Amino acid sequence: MATEKELSDFLKSVEKRAWKRAVYAVRDEDAALDIVQDTMIRLAEKYADRPPAELPLLFQRILSNATMDWFRRQKVKNQVVRNFSEYEGSGDDSEFDILETLEALGGPLQSESAAESVSRAQILQTIEAEVALLPARQREAFLLRYWEELDVAETAASMGCSEGSVKTHCSRAVHALAKALKAKGITS
Amino acid sequence: MKLDDRTYRDAARAASEARFARAVAACLSESADRLAPDVAERLRFGREKALELARHSRGEAVGVTASGAAIAGLGKSPWWLRFASVLPLVALVAGLVMIQNWQTRTQISVAAEIDEALLGDDLPINAYRDPGFAEFLKAPPSE
Repeated sequence: MATEKELSDFLKSVEKRAWKRAVYAVRDEDAALDIVQDTMIRLAEKYADRPPAELPLLFQRILSNATMDWFRRQKVKNQVVRNFSEYEGSGDDSEFDILETLEALGGPLQSESAAESVSRAQILQTIEAEVALLPARQREAFLLRYWEELDVAETAASMGCSEGSVKTHCSRAVHALAKALKAKGITS
Repeated sequence: MKLDDRTYRDAARAASEARFARAVAACLSESADRLAPDVAERLRFGREKALELARHSRGEAVGVTASGAAIAGLGKSPWWLRFASVLPLVALVAGLVMIQNWQTRTQISVAAEIDEALLGDDLPINAYRDPGFAEFLKAPPSE
């Protein structure tokens, strides 16, 4: 059973990432705050007695459900509904060199002058914008796998799909991001 | 041999994808750490509200467990309280035993009175076994 401190530390460690993910999904900062708060309350009310190790996966599942609930409510209100269906990309990314873009992400960020700091902020903004533009399922798989650091099986369980689908979504997301970032001039 | 090359290429590609993804994730984390103060404050408020609810639900769970134990007589209540809770049951059982005893004594007493009346009467007891005398007793008294 997680103690109050363990639960507090856990929520503190995930709340910012959760809010960002919710913003990517619903494109509304206030709605994202409501979703994250709702997720934290649901976790605390129903699963506070679970061991600390189970909290990350439970939190991700509740967050996904809360986001889906938000979309359902929006649909009921006849507002704009984002397309949550599978995205099939062109798949023609095999010749793209990911490492070329990777160096740009890691290279100039180590030591920063004022100019580099501004440049860094712009790079971060661009990356966030490109992540937000990813198809929903690809983005969800990518963020759960690499940002929340869930393994493939946990990501699949959280998304309610097969492990193969998770790998495919992640691979497509990585290639789409690398291609988009290179197109924006974020290269070595 | 071809298979080995392909496996090697796939592994290298997966490794480079993972490195790229982690680099992007690191950038996202850096960006998340630069949240606006009002957003961070609202997140803190939400977290504290959730923790308060968790505290409340835990308190309720403890209360329910304690009251359940008390009802079952398993709680750590004082001996006199436990004794007092058993007292009505003891009184009920004692009352039932006394009523049973009183009824038995009454029946014995009634039977003894009948025996005494029969044995003390002038009429011999064998007379009641005579069918003619039984008919005489049933017949209405003559003028």
